[in-house]
Amino acid sequence: MATAVAEVKAEKASLGSTLWSWLTTTDHKRIGILYGVTAFVFFLIGGLEALIIRAQLAHSGNDLVSAETFNQLFTMHGTTMIFLAVMPLSAAFFNYIVPLQIGARDVAFPRLNAFSYWVFLFGGLLLNASFLFGAAPDGGWFGYPNLTSKQYSPGLNIDFWVIGLQVLGIASLAAGFNFVVTIINLRAPGMRMMRLPVFTWMTLVTQFLVITAFPVITVALVFLMFDRFFGTTFYSTAAGGDLLLWQHLFWLFGHPEVYILILPAMGIVSEVLPTFSRKPLFGYAVVVYSGLLIGVMGWGVWAHHMFAVGMGPIADSVFSATTMLIAIPTGVKIFNWLATMWGGQVQFRTPMLFALGFIAMFIIGGLSGVMHSSAAADLQQTDTYFVVAHIHYVLFGGAIQGIFAGIYYWWPKITGRLMNEKLGKWHFWLSFIGMNLAFFPMHFIGLLGMPRRIYTYSPELGLDTLNLVSTVGAFLIGISVLIFIYNVWWTRRHGEVAGNDPWRAATLEWTIPSPPPPYNFSVIPEVVSRLPRWSVTQMKAIPEVPPEPIHLPGGSYWPVVTAFGILVMAAGALLHSLWVVLLGGAVLVVGIYAWAFEPFEV
Amino acid sequence: MKVHLYERIWMIAAAAVIAIFLGTIAVGTLAQGSQPPSHVETIDPKAVWTDPRFANRGVEELPDGAVRVTGIAMMFAFQPGEIRVPAGKKVTFRLTSADVVHGFQIVGTNANAMVVPGYVTQFSTVFDRPGEYLIVCNEYCGLGHHMMMGRLVVEAGQ
Repeated sequence: MATAVAEVKAEKASLGSTLWSWLTTTDHKRIGILYGVTAFVFFLIGGLEALIIRAQLAHSGNDLVSAETFNQLFTMHGTTMIFLAVMPLSAAFFNYIVPLQIGARDVAFPRLNAFSYWVFLFGGLLLNASFLFGAAPDGGWFGYPNLTSKQYSPGLNIDFWVIGLQVLGIASLAAGFNFVVTIINLRAPGMRMMRLPVFTWMTLVTQFLVITAFPVITVALVFLMFDRFFGTTFYSTAAGGDLLLWQHLFWLFGHPEVYILILPAMGIVSEVLPTFSRKPLFGYAVVVYSGLLIGVMGWGVWAHHMFAVGMGPIADSVFSATTMLIAIPTGVKIFNWLATMWGGQVQFRTPMLFALGFIAMFIIGGLSGVMHSSAAADLQQTDTYFVVAHIHYVLFGGAIQGIFAGIYYWWPKITGRLMNEKLGKWHFWLSFIGMNLAFFPMHFIGLLGMPRRIYTYSPELGLDTLNLVSTVGAFLIGISVLIFIYNVWWTRRHGEVAGNDPWRAATLEWTIPSPPPPYNFSVIPEVVSRLPRWSVTQMKAIPEVPPEPIHLPGGSYWPVVTAFGILVMAAGALLHSLWVVLLGGAVLVVGIYAWAFEPFEV
Repeated sequence: MKVHLYERIWMIAAAAVIAIFLGTIAVGTLAQGSQPPSHVETIDPKAVWTDPRFANRGVEELPDGAVRVTGIAMMFAFQPGEIRVPAGKKVTFRLTSADVVHGFQIVGTNANAMVVPGYVTQFSTVFDRPGEYLIVCNEYCGLGHHMMMGRLVVEAGQ
């Protein structure tokens, strides 16, 4: 019913009013879709950068691109994939799915949610605009000073990076607070904390990591910005500053960031596995607690990125030990996932395949991670391609495959149509084979002595064959993504109509129509168990038509205006123009003021 | 202005935490003069070429039979570019950087250290297998990072 009404509306609306409605939307579902589409475009850009990098490294002594371009490409590939692809792709699910899973009609602060999205979009565009000026960041995604200090990087490149990341940090922080409040305060009656779906739980842990880790990188970036813009000496050893302060701050953020990237994927997998094993998740409480434990322990391992600095035996041993310890809650989760499947009726649908791929690849990435925890072994691996292999097993084999599991799993809920299974399986197998071809040889390439981030290498190293295999694998992944895009296109018209619950899953989001009506739940459900749709005590059915009128908040354009103010401030900082910064500040203040006093009822 | 009791408690607690943190840092740095442990041996990064500790770059045999290698990493080379050390003896490397952060990795061994400007990087190791080893900079250091290499020759002992 609701679907039909929405479709009729969409046909009638003019292009202008459709655009306006998306621009001013505060509906968490629409913002989720905006996040997903935008992040996927950035994922394609980051992927294209990766393909050029791999083409350049296909054989020794290659000069497909210049060294300068190569350095920009690998810097932007890392920055894009982490901040503009994986994080916001997860955010798309937080936005769309979390309110549905907790039985809420929206997030706690709908306009702040819109603001997060627009700031993210502007920050992403700003970072990528650097290509238009021929000044894309080239200091690595980790941006170590003093290479990134004014003396050694005088151009605009690093300015784009420093400013862009600060803008993106604002988006992440605003979203972080929003989701913590949403999950804690907007749960439907009966949805106790220990009844929350695991995906929502992992979202909560992730958001706590975001709101604690992003201030750390913001401080580091502000120091670097002051060093570059105003001649301070935070990172200048010559003037009594400390170069290593950056490395500590960066990894103090950087390691929790790894868990910000992987925990949502773990949450998705914890939803997909029970559904397609027809069994509740094994050891729900333990999975939740180990997720929490990973979140806490993620703070105590950062210096394992810095063994080569020479921190002394005490620091090295402490960080070795904590790094080994964090493998325990991670291992616990893996055993829980395996035990979930044990004795279940496993159905190999596409989301399940990606979830299984996640487990397998994450184990490999996790094991090479534990190898790094030994300082002595780490010294043979630091800054070689071995580490590149490790992070790609964790972030592609882990995070991206988890996200694809989520896309195939919730696509029918979001669009009302099931994606094509055959194409989905092609996508899975090609990307699975491709990623192993691309990333497994990198272990050997690294141990045989190829450092990271090198533009080209000499034929004497004897690494041509392995590198070529890796390049072929990367292009296979590229083809698999094209198949996915075709699948999306095909599904729009020909996908099987899903109905409320095509997978016969257990959680709340499957009790309502697909796609959900704007108000989500016609009546706020009363939750009686952890798996409302599978439990013996049935929850009250949710009526198809709302029994009484539901008030929905209208749109607001102030979030876009406020976000735009931030973009103007960032542009002003890049231009070194105080007047433009002040102008942006004025827009920001007007935006916040108007926002605060706008009549807007939630 | 009326502030809710819980909000007031949170505000006071947050302010107290900030005060404690800042206080600890202030006492540590100002009163106790504490420094991060990595400040083991520092050097003026602008004066590495004139510093007496790095005047004799190359391999030195010490009275106790051990070997000391003194070197400087810079964009985009190692000084000296070729190092000859005897096999089976303790070799102590003392390195510093003339410009940005570099890496010093001897491929095929676990000798790998970050060379940070302003600090002296020191580590010891023993090479058992004679032969030629590649030294690479593995810490991204700019445009010529891929060309920054050196050579280590381990000579069989007499």
